[in-house]
Amino acid sequence: MTARELHWRVGDQEITCRIEESKGSGTFHLAGTTVPFRLLDSSHIEVSGTRHRFFVIHNRDLSTVWLDGRTYFLQRATRSTGTEIKAGTGTGEVRALMPGKLLRLTANTGDIVTEKQMIAIMESMKMESALFAPIAGRVVDVRFKPGDVVEMGDIVMVIETDQGVRHLGT
Amino acid sequence: MIRKVLIANRGEIALRISCTLREMGIQTVAVFTEPDEHALHVQSAHEAREISSYLDASEIVRTAKESGADAIHPGYGFLSENAGFSEACEVSGLVFIGPRADTIRAMGDKLESKRVMQQAGIPIVPVWNGSPPRSEFPVLVKAVGGGGGKGMRLVQNVAELQDALASASREASAAFGDHHVFVEKYIRQPRHIEFQILGDAHGNAIHAFERECSIQRRHQKIIEETPSPAVTPELRIQMGSAALAAARAVKYRGAGTVEFIVDPSGKFYFLEMNTRLQVEHPITEMTTGLDLVREQVLIASGEKLNYAQSDLYQTGHALECRIYAEVPEENFRPDTGVIEVFERPSGPGIRLDTGVGRGSVVSYHFDPLLAKLIVWAPSRRAAIDRMKRALEDFVLLGVRNNIEFLRRVISTDDFGSGKLDTTFLDRHGEVFNVPNEVPVEALLVASTVGAVYDRPDRPAGHRLPVQDVWDSGNWRNS
Repeated sequence: MTARELHWRVGDQEITCRIEESKGSGTFHLAGTTVPFRLLDSSHIEVSGTRHRFFVIHNRDLSTVWLDGRTYFLQRATRSTGTEIKAGTGTGEVRALMPGKLLRLTANTGDIVTEKQMIAIMESMKMESALFAPIAGRVVDVRFKPGDVVEMGDIVMVIETDQGVRHLGT
Repeated sequence: MIRKVLIANRGEIALRISCTLREMGIQTVAVFTEPDEHALHVQSAHEAREISSYLDASEIVRTAKESGADAIHPGYGFLSENAGFSEACEVSGLVFIGPRADTIRAMGDKLESKRVMQQAGIPIVPVWNGSPPRSEFPVLVKAVGGGGGKGMRLVQNVAELQDALASASREASAAFGDHHVFVEKYIRQPRHIEFQILGDAHGNAIHAFERECSIQRRHQKIIEETPSPAVTPELRIQMGSAALAAARAVKYRGAGTVEFIVDPSGKFYFLEMNTRLQVEHPITEMTTGLDLVREQVLIASGEKLNYAQSDLYQTGHALECRIYAEVPEENFRPDTGVIEVFERPSGPGIRLDTGVGRGSVVSYHFDPLLAKLIVWAPSRRAAIDRMKRALEDFVLLGVRNNIEFLRRVISTDDFGSGKLDTTFLDRHGEVFNVPNEVPVEALLVASTVGAVYDRPDRPAGHRLPVQDVWDSGNWRNS
């Protein structure tokens, strides 16, 4: 079970939501309400027993959500609070985005990396994907080596900024 | 005998033409400019050749000769209504799949075409070469050299006329290379209704009924349908006869369109003749069963029309929605980007003519028309229902578009009851209102799926983001 908090800006409102999730099922907490959900496949979700079709694309802080024929534009709120639990945006943790095999590391402990620098290559479903540094800083921990099998969400690497570890959770 | 055709166009129409040509066993040659190197129309052709511009007539003729093509299909836009291009094809021994150069020239001149049609006994909108009598205002100033709203001004009174003439003339000069403008009577709340015509080289002509194209933004059509809810059987006979008279007046050869405006009392006036395949031609195909591109090729090959007027009839109702990369709520500004999600609607009676798919780059270089969604159903009511459902199933993300706007337009009561005219959008401001509440489910999926990390910007020119929603990195095949 992982839990995380995310902040969205909708109109002039800032909304904080919390997700508790394990293997695509979990609960979503928002403004005092809790809804159970279950991801059915890459474009269908069941929320409180009702099924919805969806697509999401993310571009920097702007997320575009298509849900049941309507499109919503959501702005991620600035992450100033540092209250993320587990992975949140802007942390120094690099997590696997898919389960798969770690093919290659392109940065190692002690290396200075820039934001968005490629730090590792993974393989899953005959496809290669790259992992990128979410922030600029120094690599302080590498938790897997090439050939290792990595689960989705596993922390592959931790990067520290000059100001110390940005990430406060876990 | 046409064996190999160069398609001098791009996007959805190049693909649509290629479908019929390949069905006829004809080889296809695509042309493309640099930004289109990986476009779908290039991939679907038997051969593809790079050119410097879709508007360079001599280069395209040369390319056709080099590739061994025996004919050129111009599509719509670009060189399709360029008489010089039609001539250049003939001089080079290439068949131009379109009308003769003299027809294109006469009909391209919006004043000359009116004169020709008036002589043929077809009602025209009154025009003036200078200032009309005070009682005739409001009037429209229009360009002689072309349409599409360029060089067009609505003038309420005499005092405004001189300024309008001057500014329209400047705009016409920039758009068409011809500064001539004229003054036309303004018909209030007009419907735009056009007739599809086909004429062969042997003097036969038929019409394939009307299309109503009254829903327009900036004088450009966005929704078309056939039959028109305003055309009674009697009016159809009258307008059809006028369309045929227009075709005969210029001995029309090929597929063309006679445009009329119809006033609220049902009086109709010739507006102009378009000497090409029309963007909205699929709705005619859906209700008559014709393949207009096939007819064009057969006519260009010198064959006689296969149908008499009495052979043609319409079945059911067809609607077309033009999917544009634009934001209607922000004054229809065009948008650009990479299409990241492209999920086609499907089911009975649905046709999607598209020039793009997942991974396509939409740039500022070309017209923002991405695709045309066409539906057929037994009745108008059922066609509207079907179009609503198809628009609701159509997912296109990565480039802002008008899919939801189109659905709001066809969902209005006035659209449902067929109360259409070219000022429809001006009178229905509510279709520009986007609901601003965000459902919990939308926040949930945005928070759950792929949102854990920021995705790095794609490198410039990245074309095929082979990604799914779980991914926030870059992928490549291994």
